[in-house]
Amino acid sequence: MADERPVLGRFPRPARIAGRLALCAFALLYVLPFLIQLATSLKTDPDAAAHPMTLFPGNPTVAAYRRLFGAGGGVESVPFLRWLGNSAFVTVAVTSGRVLFDSMAGYALARLPFAGRRTLFVFLLSAMSVPPVVLLIPKFLVLKSFGMFDSYSGMITPLLVDAGGVFIMKQFFESLPREIEEAARIDGAGVPRIFWSVVLPMSKAPLITLTVLSFQGSWNEFTHFLVSTQSSRYDTLTTGLAHFVSGGLGGGTQYPLKLAAALLSTLPVAALFFCFQRYFVRGSNAGSVKE
Amino acid sequence: MPISRSLGGAAAACAAAVLLTVTGCSSGGGFDSSAPKQSSSGSPQSLSVMIATSGDAETAAVKQATAAWARQTGNKVTVQLASDINQQLGQAFAGNKPPDVFYVNSDQFANYAKGGSLYAYGDQIPNASAFSGPLRDSFSYGGKLVCLPKDSSTLGLAINTDLWKQAGLTAADYPTTWQQLAKVAAKLTKGGVTGLVTTPDYQRLGALMKEAGGWITDPGQTAMTADSAADRQALDFVKSMMSAGSLKYASDVDAGWGGEALGKKKAAMTIEGNWLAGAMKADFPSVGYTVVPLPAGPAGKGTLVFSNCWGVAARSGHQKAAVDLVRHLTSAGQQLAFADAFGVMPSRTDALATYARKYPAAKAWVDGIAYAQRPVTIAGFNQVLTQFNTDLQSLRTSSSAQILEGLQRNGGQVLKNGR
Amino acid sequence: MAGSGLLGTPAAAGPRRSAAVTRRRPVRDRIRQGAWGWLFVTPMVLVLGLFMALPILMALWVSLLHWDGQSNPFTGHADFVGLGNYRDLISSDGLSRTLFATSLRNTAYYVLLTVPAQTVLALGLAIVVNQRMMRGRGVARTVFYFPSVTSSIAVSTVFLFLFQGSGSVNRMLSWIGVKGPNWFADPRGVVWLVLGDLGFTDPDHPGGPLARHGVLGLSWADWFSGPSVAMCTLILLSVWTTSGTFMLIFLAALQGIPRSLEEAAALDGVNRRQLLRHVTLPALRPVVFLVLTLGLIATWQVFDQVYVMGKGAPGNTTLTPAYLSYSSGFDNADYGHGAAIAFVLLAIILPLAGLQRWVLRERGGRGRRLRRGGRGPLRAPREEVGARG
Repeated sequence: MADERPVLGRFPRPARIAGRLALCAFALLYVLPFLIQLATSLKTDPDAAAHPMTLFPGNPTVAAYRRLFGAGGGVESVPFLRWLGNSAFVTVAVTSGRVLFDSMAGYALARLPFAGRRTLFVFLLSAMSVPPVVLLIPKFLVLKSFGMFDSYSGMITPLLVDAGGVFIMKQFFESLPREIEEAARIDGAGVPRIFWSVVLPMSKAPLITLTVLSFQGSWNEFTHFLVSTQSSRYDTLTTGLAHFVSGGLGGGTQYPLKLAAALLSTLPVAALFFCFQRYFVRGSNAGSVKE
Repeated sequence: MPISRSLGGAAAACAAAVLLTVTGCSSGGGFDSSAPKQSSSGSPQSLSVMIATSGDAETAAVKQATAAWARQTGNKVTVQLASDINQQLGQAFAGNKPPDVFYVNSDQFANYAKGGSLYAYGDQIPNASAFSGPLRDSFSYGGKLVCLPKDSSTLGLAINTDLWKQAGLTAADYPTTWQQLAKVAAKLTKGGVTGLVTTPDYQRLGALMKEAGGWITDPGQTAMTADSAADRQALDFVKSMMSAGSLKYASDVDAGWGGEALGKKKAAMTIEGNWLAGAMKADFPSVGYTVVPLPAGPAGKGTLVFSNCWGVAARSGHQKAAVDLVRHLTSAGQQLAFADAFGVMPSRTDALATYARKYPAAKAWVDGIAYAQRPVTIAGFNQVLTQFNTDLQSLRTSSSAQILEGLQRNGGQVLKNGR
Repeated sequence: MAGSGLLGTPAAAGPRRSAAVTRRRPVRDRIRQGAWGWLFVTPMVLVLGLFMALPILMALWVSLLHWDGQSNPFTGHADFVGLGNYRDLISSDGLSRTLFATSLRNTAYYVLLTVPAQTVLALGLAIVVNQRMMRGRGVARTVFYFPSVTSSIAVSTVFLFLFQGSGSVNRMLSWIGVKGPNWFADPRGVVWLVLGDLGFTDPDHPGGPLARHGVLGLSWADWFSGPSVAMCTLILLSVWTTSGTFMLIFLAALQGIPRSLEEAAALDGVNRRQLLRHVTLPALRPVVFLVLTLGLIATWQVFDQVYVMGKGAPGNTTLTPAYLSYSSGFDNADYGHGAAIAFVLLAIILPLAGLQRWVLRERGGRGRRLRRGGRGPLRAPREEVGARG
């Protein structure tokens, strides 16, 4: 723990209170949208339209949630469970792929001397500079040529490696002391064994960071799924919700339903965030925040 | 030395990538343009149907109808709802994964037909002449009927009867001219209610252009006639009602479309087609309304007619079953069932007569077919019309002449390039 | 990389045999390691090669075609138009160029307002949250950061609801006597709106004489209109969601400032403002620059929000190049045109990315000290970029 004393004296009391109030008010701006979202998801359509600010609905209803889970009794329910299933499946596949492949490539780039390593690193850096939205049409073209358009393999394969993740792992492996690996090598361990039994066990923190980032990234991924699929049976929470919100699945504003779907789709990442907050923070800062 | 080594490595990597690509290409065959493999008609088949729905009522009705056919024939049908059918179909055609049966919008029809994405099955329909002539023309390409019109719709003026009475108006006051329309709209505008609410698109406001004696193109769709005095007069009339505050766009009153505004009592009148009937029944059953013909303009009466057709993909592997499904969906009985469910009008003349008897309230819409303008169907015109709709959004602050000049210019370019 | 020549003459020298053994081992090891190295990077090379490098090459070809998506673009029958698609965007008068110019204008205003706002806000939040004596700073940090981890689609949905004409935001504005605009339906540019309200211009004919002439198919009045009211909601959304991420980057940098520096300044008797101005901000300068370039790169790519919040409506004022590229391809079946837009966008973003890399490189030397503890704050951006790709 660093020295906790402030460098300069504290603010005078009134200023402190005023500052606190201002900060609270400001924090409210960040929280309120989520609270309104929750409250509105428990309202009826007319109630939501008439009282957009009420945080405690007069007669709360879970109709929106019932409809999402196919228990609305109505004719058409939003295929929310399918979206959820697709999102979960794709996220798990992508996350496991990324954790494995990113750390493998990161290790090779950090420690294994092979011809073309430097060029590959330059390639990696350039890949990180390519803005994803520029790849919308290009990715569609390539998926179509490979016959992977509108399939799970087309949704998952292109996301299996992410340049940023490789970079994180490479940087981390470079920071590890070489001596332990050398010792293992002298004991006769081969590269895969050293990687698997020596290096990875020392890398828990970056691996968790990578897992958390990959999970968040693929759960929230939108543009790639938009151009790699066409059938509604491949809709994920993001594409399904986006189609729903931007006008499909019937008219009307239906805000309680939309907001309930958005809320539920946020929950897994929110849960992950509250459990692994310091890894998110580390992800954003790559470990330089010490608390 | 290390540099040339690493270059060599990179070259090897590239070579490997290219090699994989080539093999991937040859095996995946994503661009393979040979004829689709047809499943044998004997075994049960799984068809996908893509629709752009107007609401839950339409979704349910289509699902019910396809399910009935599936039960009869032992096949399986999945109905897919598109949020933006033009975009999703375009992507599906380009990705070689089109649904088997789908709605084709009249403004996209020419594009798809020209690109060879549609399977022309018109010659397999024995009683095709039962469908109304203008609609058959709309969905013919190169002299062949490509797909069957799903239904037909025209525009009318829908009026909230309660608000009408509250404003002290009677049936005798139903507007028949633009002047009367402006007057009653002003009278109805008060509190949270706007006299006339509509959406900013040529599919509504275009009717006024027609009433003023103008239209976007000449009847043969070979030349632009957008930049005309009649069209300017129509848009100027809309503008004048807007500045009077008695006409607003649906988004200005927090509604997605005119019907929603009418149902939520934010609009006393709206310009909508007969799909309104189904939506009102489903979403706002307690709101009373009546439909009258659109008031006549300087050049007389005018309205627009719309239809979608049931497209069958040229690349579908189930064409035979798909055509059979379409035959089922366009039978007179089924068209009347759709009419009951969500208010569309049949596209078959025999069924339309039955419909008119059964739904006297829809008289204004049925009668409209006689004098309606059909939509523009020129390949590549979609973007031009989208831009026109975009310009109409800011009609209040821009000039009618400028908007129409733009339309004239953009449309002219497409016609020139297409020739 | 030891020469492979050694391999050809292994056990030749008898007397120096023992030396050769100790040297041969690493050589063989090295080769084996090299092989493993290639094996380990193969997935990366394949995925990035096939789904990033190759698509770019294919799209480059397609951008030279007129391709409607209904045939095979890689045969001799393709309708080759050379640079026609690029010409349509830049030099030939027409709808394509007007739309492209409109999207550039919209994004320029978006970038111009979002980047400074998010940077200043993030810096302010970081300085406040960094107060050592403040209670609840963990909570505050969580609150400000949380919007950044949620999906852009979900938060856009929430904003759609909040900014409806009779939605929460306008309700709140009405409490303080302000009649809010109909956010998503209002295509008016804020510059003309404000000037009109102040009585400088005629609200019904914004821009006055400027509306008559223009460049790239867009009148001067349109160029100078500022972001539309609808675009402002996108700007607010973007600032709201990204300020948390950037706050963390600043926070890390703030904590990296050596305490001795601040204490020395305190001994000199500086007050708070002077400390901020002469010690803290100069120490943060490279990070500010980093956040600015990151913001610039990200804002030019805005797509998800546009897709959900109106697809360019109202009046094309939320159209962005990224969305235009997508819709040209998938809506209007003009894939060549869409690909051409993507490459122009790439040409705009790549220099920014280069600039950022250059900044990072310069900082790499100085930041080495930080790296020991596990990489300085300069690392964050790459993950940010990478996590999205």
